[in-house]
Amino acid sequence: MISMPIVSLMILVPLIGAVLTLFSKTKEQTRIIALVSSLAPLVGALYMIMNFDSSTPAMQFVESFDWVPSLGILYKVGVDGIALPLVLLAAIVVPATIIYSWGEDKQPNQFFALILALEAGVMGVFTSLDFFLFYIFWELTLIPMYFLISIWGGPRKDYAAIKFFIYTHVASLVMLLGIFALYFAAWAQSGIPSFDIPYLLEQFQFLENTVLRDSIFLALLFGFLVKMPAVPFHTWLPDAHVEAPTAGSVLLAAVLLKMGGYGLFRVMLPMLPFTGSPKLMISILAFIGVLSILYGAMLALAQTDLKKMVAYSSISHMGYVTLGAAALVPLSVSGAMFQQFSHGLITCLLFMSCGSIQHIAGTRIIADLGGLAQKMPKLTVLMLFGFMASLGLPGLSGFIAEFLVLTFAYLTLPGYVLLALLGIVVTAGYHLWAMQRSMFGVLNEKLGHLHDITNYETISMGILALLVLYFGLNPSPVLDMMTTNAEQIVSLMALAGV
Amino acid sequence: MTNYMLLAPELVLTLVALAIMLAGLFFGTKHKNILGYVAGMGLFAALSLTIGGLAVNETLFYGTITIDALSQFFKIVFISVSLLVTIASIKYTEGNKNTDEFFTLLLFSTIGMMVVASANDLIVLFVGFELASLSTYALAGFEKKNPKSMEAALKYFIIGSLSSALMLFGISFVYGMTGTTSIPGIAENAGALAASPIGLIAVVMLIAGFGFKMALVPFHMWAPDTYQGAPTVISALLAAGSKKMGFVAAFRIFMVALAVLSPNWQTAFAILAVITMTLGNVVAISQTSVKRMLAYSSVAQAGYIAIAFAVMTPMALAGGILYTLSHAFMKTGAFLVVAVVGYMVVSDNKNAKDIDHLDNFKGLAKRMPLTAFAMMVFVFALSGIPPTAGYVSKFILFSSTIESGLVWLAVIAILNSALSLYYYARIVKYMYFLPAIGGKVSEPRPYAVAIILALAGVLIIGIWPEPFVYWAMEAAKVLMV
Repeated sequence: MISMPIVSLMILVPLIGAVLTLFSKTKEQTRIIALVSSLAPLVGALYMIMNFDSSTPAMQFVESFDWVPSLGILYKVGVDGIALPLVLLAAIVVPATIIYSWGEDKQPNQFFALILALEAGVMGVFTSLDFFLFYIFWELTLIPMYFLISIWGGPRKDYAAIKFFIYTHVASLVMLLGIFALYFAAWAQSGIPSFDIPYLLEQFQFLENTVLRDSIFLALLFGFLVKMPAVPFHTWLPDAHVEAPTAGSVLLAAVLLKMGGYGLFRVMLPMLPFTGSPKLMISILAFIGVLSILYGAMLALAQTDLKKMVAYSSISHMGYVTLGAAALVPLSVSGAMFQQFSHGLITCLLFMSCGSIQHIAGTRIIADLGGLAQKMPKLTVLMLFGFMASLGLPGLSGFIAEFLVLTFAYLTLPGYVLLALLGIVVTAGYHLWAMQRSMFGVLNEKLGHLHDITNYETISMGILALLVLYFGLNPSPVLDMMTTNAEQIVSLMALAGV
Repeated sequence: MTNYMLLAPELVLTLVALAIMLAGLFFGTKHKNILGYVAGMGLFAALSLTIGGLAVNETLFYGTITIDALSQFFKIVFISVSLLVTIASIKYTEGNKNTDEFFTLLLFSTIGMMVVASANDLIVLFVGFELASLSTYALAGFEKKNPKSMEAALKYFIIGSLSSALMLFGISFVYGMTGTTSIPGIAENAGALAASPIGLIAVVMLIAGFGFKMALVPFHMWAPDTYQGAPTVISALLAAGSKKMGFVAAFRIFMVALAVLSPNWQTAFAILAVITMTLGNVVAISQTSVKRMLAYSSVAQAGYIAIAFAVMTPMALAGGILYTLSHAFMKTGAFLVVAVVGYMVVSDNKNAKDIDHLDNFKGLAKRMPLTAFAMMVFVFALSGIPPTAGYVSKFILFSSTIESGLVWLAVIAILNSALSLYYYARIVKYMYFLPAIGGKVSEPRPYAVAIILALAGVLIIGIWPEPFVYWAMEAAKVLMV
């Protein structure tokens, strides 16, 4: 029996924290309330990890109540090996972001309230087991991010915010069309209205109309790919990142993008074997994955703005998620899931470094920097750590994820993997080159007086760096449960004879 | 034996309206303020009585009046809107010597709408329609010294009269062919209408007649001018209440009486819905007057609701009916916010012009945090963002469109929703991101109460939709017999 609705609390506590933060009086009060209410989900996530049974792919900590029975809408939340690592990721990243932004001076109460509201939305997305609820949370994450960009953003914030909003909102609406079609088709099929995600995924294979099945699949896929984002649906991301404040970029890259990948594992892969032509769908996914890896890396290489480079590197890294998922080998799929988790941690370090450089040096243009290591040793160490993790240095978490994806995807998609390997070279190239030009070499005197990062920034980035190292050496706390679920997904393929 | 208890809400309102009219003769301007509270209490009593009688299904007066789930649902919509408008108007009419007439007319128009909701006979329906229309013509011109208000009233009156004439013309054709004005009676004899070209003419006349009230494109021309010129509280009544009267009348006439002719009008409504929502949204984008923008947005919303006629499944009807309730709260709320902003601007500067200009919303979040927050919820609800009433209604309505196979219609509707977000988000941007001009202002209490009630309505339907969905489905069943 469930004694405590722990999953609901993880959604509710940040939400209550957001309201309290909004109405708090002083800056001090604000950030303490924000920190406490973001640490509570972390405690919850750790508790769930401790008490999680990694040997079963079933949902755990499930809570289910009728919400709108006449339409078959439930309030149903729970976690499994796909969701729990991402819940943990969000629970780590949000407090880290709050600590990093400790010194925020511009309307701090609204700033922290939006971050907490975003956390509530993201937790909801990762734990909802009802499409209606899922979609509500999915849309709810948009609003705080829109405000984070458009209030605290850079010079072109209006454009970036509205582009972000409209682009992802349209994608969500297409996804909604797919959900509707699935809901009604399943209703007509079984006579029971239900938005229950596992139930609908099960019903999907019984739909007789192949065109309908394919349309549903593609509509949902579009919604998720835009969020990830995969090339060619990525153009909103660089604008949003460049204009967003550091905390916004961190949350966007570390948590929001993961919602797209999560959708792939939760919704798309269980459907994939039952589409009209699974082979074609796999090829589409693999192609998009490799394209994202290569194109993202090439674009990153060409950037002059450090933050834009990191933004494109996100696209490139999310390509591994798509590729690993498309390969449909248990270890490549769990590698792709681990890539989500690992990239979430690493990208925080990268965006925080960019933010600190912008804040202290006043510019992020790589050519205007140079020799910062002399003045900012702490930042340089942490940033170097992040860059090394990002380019896949063994011993850090990024290596394990990408190694698993590439090695095991080779079993089923050898051609695509060989192409993707080219990306690794470019990835190493742009990371090292950017590091060399911005942090090392001769100090650019024009930058004026430079100081190192504050203690809060150091603590926040230090914790993240340690976690990257920890999961690089010992990935099993999250990787085991991912593998269990990945095996189950792949067994569906065998069932369908793909 | 006629059970008069079933008509208790109407009777209560009539008595209160007459009492207010009488009291107005004896009260001095100073004390007339109290009449608003009386009207509010009357409406509240009527609301409670209507909710108490939700599950009734009976006909009265030789079958000319029907009390069923559909009529009760729409009565709740009308009374809720009037109640919100009345509460806000307590402040608006403060110190006005015509306060008694204002509230009497407001109540009479509500009664007219309620009669339409209950009408089971075309003549009763027409009488209700005219009662509501005539009262609102006068209300739109309530600001006698304001040329814009007079223009609004005159335009509304002329076009409204024309639409009444068209409607009556359509009714006369229907009567001529079927020999009865009773709605179930027409349904029985509709074969004669379907067989003759006159049936088609009647449908065209009726669509045009109701189309004016519902402000469907191309019958919408009056709406932006009238909504902009009329006192803002009355714009709320027109957009959120009187427009729904057109819908309930059309629901009954088309779905019940003229169901046989559905091939004739279903496509017509599909086309009208598409044109209406698209034109409404596109034109709304370029408006700088918030009132006018809300007017076009209200045109667009009518387009969404009209989808219910094109789809005509129980689910779609339930969605459309629920949408009218949601829209009542969202639109009334939004117009009341405009009213309170207008009040703020005028209290800053007596001679301010363009009080409904978008610029006056700059930095509203700092000047009136509650109002700004409520407006944000209202506009997000209007564009269909969860967890609001607008989202639930759109969810049901659009999903039913897909269910019935009209995917193109659903796609257009959804794209329109995305488009509408552009101008709704702009208001939020003005309120929250642009610097404020002027200091903090506290909302007059009546406005604040009305806005909070509307906000509660939008959020309650959004978060706990079950009872509302259930009653909307019950109401839809009435139409699907």
